[in-house]
Amino acid sequence: MLSKVRERLMNIKFLRRILNWGRAWSLWSVHLETGCCGPEDMGRACARFDTERFGTLPFPTLRECDLLFITGLVTKKMAKRVRMIYDQMPDPKYVIAIGECAATGGFYWDSYSVVQGVDRVIPVDVYVPGCPPRPEAWIQGIKMLQEKIKKEGIDEK
Amino acid sequence: MKLSMGPQHPVTSHFRFILDVDGDAVLNFEWDVGYTHRGIEKMAENRIYIQNIPVVERINSYCDAIGTTLGYVEVVEELTGIEIPERAKYLRVIAAELNRIASHLYAVSLVGISAGFETMLMWTINDRELILDLLVKLSGQRITYTYPTIGGVRWDMPDGFKEDALKRLDYLEKRLEDYYKMMAWNRTFQMRFKNVGILKPSDAVKLGIVGPNLRASGVKADVRKDEPYEVYDRFDFEVPTGKNGDSFDRASMRLKEIEQSIVILRQALKDIPKGPIKGSPKGSKIPPTAPRGEAYSRVESARGEFGYYLVSDGKSKPYRLKISTPSFRNLPALPHLCRNVPLGDIPVIFITFDYIPLDVDR
Repeated sequence: MLSKVRERLMNIKFLRRILNWGRAWSLWSVHLETGCCGPEDMGRACARFDTERFGTLPFPTLRECDLLFITGLVTKKMAKRVRMIYDQMPDPKYVIAIGECAATGGFYWDSYSVVQGVDRVIPVDVYVPGCPPRPEAWIQGIKMLQEKIKKEGIDEK
Repeated sequence: MKLSMGPQHPVTSHFRFILDVDGDAVLNFEWDVGYTHRGIEKMAENRIYIQNIPVVERINSYCDAIGTTLGYVEVVEELTGIEIPERAKYLRVIAAELNRIASHLYAVSLVGISAGFETMLMWTINDRELILDLLVKLSGQRITYTYPTIGGVRWDMPDGFKEDALKRLDYLEKRLEDYYKMMAWNRTFQMRFKNVGILKPSDAVKLGIVGPNLRASGVKADVRKDEPYEVYDRFDFEVPTGKNGDSFDRASMRLKEIEQSIVILRQALKDIPKGPIKGSPKGSKIPPTAPRGEAYSRVESARGEFGYYLVSDGKSKPYRLKISTPSFRNLPALPHLCRNVPLGDIPVIFITFDYIPLDVDR
């Protein structure tokens, strides 16, 4: 019953827009470092680039997060953990793949222990290329994700 | 009870620890490494010598990329017998020391955030950006520079680099006093870090600890002084050492090293000669192959001593490249120190050792 009411309400474009706006501007990110783009994660979160301006706050507890940054390469051992962490996050959840290695395996195309692209393990919303991408590129990735979230549930109707 | 910490944890980054705990006390500490194993040594066998520079850089592209690549280009130069121009040597030292400062500032910021001291994180990371700006001017990249190359360096200093660098170093020197105050005058910080994780000098030597962590225990060992490479023997600088070998010493050791790096940088920027930056001074070309044989090189990166052992069979690719990395050598310290300590001290002890998982796993 409740879910039906909720669905009805969400079909009203105005309400849906408000919901999407709220989601887009409060993307809290999980602290999970998988590869060498880790220090840029610090760079983009701290004083100079400060992605908290866009509502992206690094947060230790994954149960309260809705954004997962894959920072660089994902090895076969890490891939299982990435999947576990993704499954533990509450819906709605979004993934941004940072770096060449997270997108396609990139630099490690002939390595025996690197997963050739994290999209083989979890679905990815936005890819940010670079090795490693500059913090400005991270911000662009966040903005692109926000644009995507704002259109959610509105376009198809 | 067994307790698993990591890899999704604000402090542990890519590591996982398996702890035996009894209430709040940790009885046994076990590593679980390998979350970032990429097989760099195997990859290096499939690429020609000059292609390997970015490959080995990814061992420690996390922070100290110049120190890592410097060791590799030195081992190739030793094997092939290439001599590099004077200016290139100075540029390498300048880049390496700038990178050391950036890396140590990053380490100090992690020390701050592990104790919930967010001001320290924000200040140090912000000052690190100033150093990264200089490195961007020099090489064009923020973290992965690929700056030293076989037979020299890739790019010369741009115009106005020297003045800009000196200005920023003056500013950083002033800021260092603030950092010391923040550490030494802050009682909460002292209570958290003093007398925690004491590593005695004899134990440190026995366990094979390297770099700033060894020096914090009071052992004077630095490759830059003991076995000078490039032009380090021409500079007048000290090797700072700690007294107690506790977490506080290890944390403040980074600040002392930044001070010495500024001293080296000032001398290097003053003395740097004019001339070419790449190629042999005699005008001979750099050969694409290395002669049959083997070579070893040591460099002092920000985290300690890097060792490269290269075996060549006379072809264009290395036969074997064995790499010994500082974080890997520092691994035995934690199981030694983390016995019968409170669980809350584990992040503090761990973070002051400044481990880089990427260089442990390679």
